[in-house]
Amino acid sequence: MKLPEGFDFTQSNLKDYLDCPYRFYLKYVLHTKWPALLVDDALAFEERGKAGARFHRLIQQYLLGIPQSRLDAIAQSDPNPEITRWWENFLENVPHLLEGQRYVEASLSTPMLNQRLVAKYDLVLVQDESQLVIFDWKTSGKRPRKEWLLDRVQTRLYRYILTKAGGSLTGTDEISPEQITMNYWFAPHPEAPISLPYNQKAFQADQTYFENCIQEILDRKEENFFRTDDERKCRYCLYRSHCDRGVNAGDLQGFDAFELDEENFEFDLDFDEIQEIEF
Amino acid sequence: MPSSKFILFGYNSTMPLTADQEKLIKQDIKSKVFLQGPAGSGKTTAGIHWLTKLIKAGIPPHQILIFTPQRTLSLPYQNTLYQEEVQAHGPVNSLTLGGLARRMVDLFWPLVGIDAGFGTPNKAPNFLTLETAQYYMAHLVRPLIEEKGLFDSLTINRNRIYAQILDNLNKAAVVGFPYEEIGGRLKSAWVGDIEQLHIYDDVQFCADQFRSFCLENNLLDFSLQVEVFLKHLWTSPMCRSYLSQFYRHLIVDNIEEDTPVTHDILKEWLPDFESALIIFDQEAGYRSFLGADVESAQSLKDSCDKIINFEKNLVSEDGIRQVSLGINNAIARLKGTPQSNPEPSFEAVRAAIVSPAENPKYFPGMVAWVADQIANLINDGVSPGEIVVLAPFMPDVLRFTLTNRLDELGIPNQSHRPSRSLRDEPATQTMLTLGRIAFHSWEMLPERINLAYALVQAIDGLDLVRAQLLTAYAYKKSGSDFPLHPFEAIPPHVRDRVTFRVGERYDRLRNWLENINTQAELPLDFFLNKLFGEVLSQPGYGFHDKLDSGNTVAILIESIQKFRWAIGEQLVSDEISIGKEYIQMVNEGVIAAQYVQSWETGDEDAVLLSPAYTFLISNRPVDVQFWLDIGSPSWYQRLDQPLTHPYVLSRAWEHGELWDAEDELAASYQSLQRLSVGLLNRCRKKVYLGMSDLDVRGYENRGLLIRIIQNILQHARRETS
Ligand code: SF4
Repeated sequence: MKLPEGFDFTQSNLKDYLDCPYRFYLKYVLHTKWPALLVDDALAFEERGKAGARFHRLIQQYLLGIPQSRLDAIAQSDPNPEITRWWENFLENVPHLLEGQRYVEASLSTPMLNQRLVAKYDLVLVQDESQLVIFDWKTSGKRPRKEWLLDRVQTRLYRYILTKAGGSLTGTDEISPEQITMNYWFAPHPEAPISLPYNQKAFQADQTYFENCIQEILDRKEENFFRTDDERKCRYCLYRSHCDRGVNAGDLQGFDAFELDEENFEFDLDFDEIQEIEF
Repeated sequence: MPSSKFILFGYNSTMPLTADQEKLIKQDIKSKVFLQGPAGSGKTTAGIHWLTKLIKAGIPPHQILIFTPQRTLSLPYQNTLYQEEVQAHGPVNSLTLGGLARRMVDLFWPLVGIDAGFGTPNKAPNFLTLETAQYYMAHLVRPLIEEKGLFDSLTINRNRIYAQILDNLNKAAVVGFPYEEIGGRLKSAWVGDIEQLHIYDDVQFCADQFRSFCLENNLLDFSLQVEVFLKHLWTSPMCRSYLSQFYRHLIVDNIEEDTPVTHDILKEWLPDFESALIIFDQEAGYRSFLGADVESAQSLKDSCDKIINFEKNLVSEDGIRQVSLGINNAIARLKGTPQSNPEPSFEAVRAAIVSPAENPKYFPGMVAWVADQIANLINDGVSPGEIVVLAPFMPDVLRFTLTNRLDELGIPNQSHRPSRSLRDEPATQTMLTLGRIAFHSWEMLPERINLAYALVQAIDGLDLVRAQLLTAYAYKKSGSDFPLHPFEAIPPHVRDRVTFRVGERYDRLRNWLENINTQAELPLDFFLNKLFGEVLSQPGYGFHDKLDSGNTVAILIESIQKFRWAIGEQLVSDEISIGKEYIQMVNEGVIAAQYVQSWETGDEDAVLLSPAYTFLISNRPVDVQFWLDIGSPSWYQRLDQPLTHPYVLSRAWEHGELWDAEDELAASYQSLQRLSVGLLNRCRKKVYLGMSDLDVRGYENRGLLIRIIQNILQHARRETS
């Protein structure tokens, strides 16, 4: 099947495909917006997402060199008290790890099977001897196990893309997987980040994995994007009513907060609207 | 966000380059080039090749900035990155002035909140959309109108008052003058009734009030974002060094459609870039009513080290080029400044322009003629996607009549409406009507007939006759009780007619609506999410398999959510329900609940019906254009905007100069010339001119455009003979 023009493979759409091919088809091929709730306690869910977005913004501002005193004042004035705690945790545990050239909110991509794989990093550090360190800030409550993280699409994709495209940050032609480490830091846990170094073997495995996955998508006919058999996936899927897979949204407790995409809670304005509306 | 499908001109970077394009591509990669030429001369294609050249030379895409007046104009550049041979390692960045200002204010807010004078600089900024800004303007200005008698001599709709005050603030920001001068500037150019001077004072007063209110409450409308960016961030070394480190190479397209402040910024910024390509479309400047400034765009030439001219329009055939020439000559003659250009050939012009032997009296006659001509063209092998039907505003009645006729003839067609109001969509009406039932304590219960319509949409298997019957017995508007009664409470004979299957569905919906707010009142957007997900999209209900309805409802919910985010805190502190306020504002038209349709379509090979300016901006050449209602003054006249003035508030306008009838006429000539020549530059073969003796509104119009066409033909005939 031909994917829409301008389509990029990202961690979230690959995850959608792996969860349910039909969800992928509805969301990215048909662009179907299905305005149901993802989780039951929508207000708490929204607040969690917005707080995560504000916290990401604080770190971003810190990394750009905005004076800490101003950021402290903003963190303290935040309506969500957790932000102050996260911020203190960050200041205590992270800054000493941030040596190197910083690429904040960097997007990188690499081609694969005539498609594009894209990753948007919270931070990439290019350190001495060309070590590349990815940082990903998480505000979710649980601190998962290493093995679980190694298996996530995000981990696999981010490290893979940086190996392929990191040369545009270092100015070198080739990056070997051994130069790359991915760090997850969990704001509610004031410990060191979970560090996941990369290697050639994992890189080869990821390459094969993503190639197979993309090839499978490209080979599928539209009518073969089947609904998943695992109905647990439907609990946190917007399309559940369309698929007759239940009435109520899943509960907030059970939601995998690791997958929370803070960008969805940022205010997105399109000033192009101005030109079109008569007054 | 899912990407949309756009019917933009397919820029093909695999096509062989013209000599002009080669010349550009051969420039050193560190050049700063000002590229100018008419529309259709291959400038954007050349720009795309330039981008490819940068990427192939190993420049990281994230260092490349594509700057355009409107985001959609950067799409051809973005799409290039998907071509196999380009192999880019990341997306390039696209920005508009608004995008740049908002992004920077958001990022560097801790630096600017205090200096810019915001009331609570430690709290996050609240960016306003056009709708929410309009809401706040109404909130401030409505009492001034009602209690203080502001604008009492004006008879226009209040929402236009709010919108025009906002427009003035935006103009001040993008033209680059203090907003405190809006009233003074408008007054100094006014010739006429003294009452108008008071109106301009009122405008200034409201603008001042609005700005103070925004500062006090951390609210940033478009104008304040641009001002804060310019005054506090563009001058900040930290922000500047961030920008110049981040972006090393610049491509600007359609610079002539951008504003003076953008031009100032780019001019200052240019030395920081390693390379720059600035593309200028001659004879354009269509967005002047939004502050676009052709003259200030041209001043960027001086900051570039090379100017390259593309001379030739590659789109139009000779006949169309001759018509263009004729229009330029005719307007010069009408202005009293005849040019020594050659006159076009009569034969060529006659072959390129088609009009009916005799004009029909009424507009349906014109529509019939247009539809027949389109049918003939398609029979002769012209692809429907190569035909576009244009009118200055394309009113609904014209669009509707033409669409119907084309449908009858089996001709695929699509219409581009610049914006649509959600209020007009049955799916959103259904949602809001049911919302009023659930939130009955707001005392905004719907009319019975509207509820009947909503139930028809909501319940599978219910028709209007039975819905009316159902609501006649089950809907009670009086009292504070829940207004919908259970199915069993209606007389048996009515139940029989409605049927028990429908009754069951009705009951489930009714019970859901009654119980949803018993514990705590949900925000309206989440209520609608639940209503949609738990009832209306379930089997047995109207939206179950309606993907389109889902999309429409999603846009409504997004609009409510943005409203809640922007207004929420304020209203909650005033103890007003956000959802109720939203519905009231939609009813009053303050919030238009409009959504902008991109140039999006399901079928590219269809005849396109579009307002003329929208088509111009979409940069899509076609073989055949139909210009409708060519007698109408809308082809060149400004909108009637008694509270603002695009020319007087432009940078070129000398303070104290008077705007008189001559200026108005000169502005009309200029608009007409830009519009008509712009359209011709996007036309390959033929233009069909449609008109009727009486236009859509029943007026007899013989405006400038007709006179000009006649003038061209007369001169061409004289010249040829
Ligand atoms: S509801 Fe279940 S089957 Fe349907 S799209 Fe979602 S995950 Fe797939």
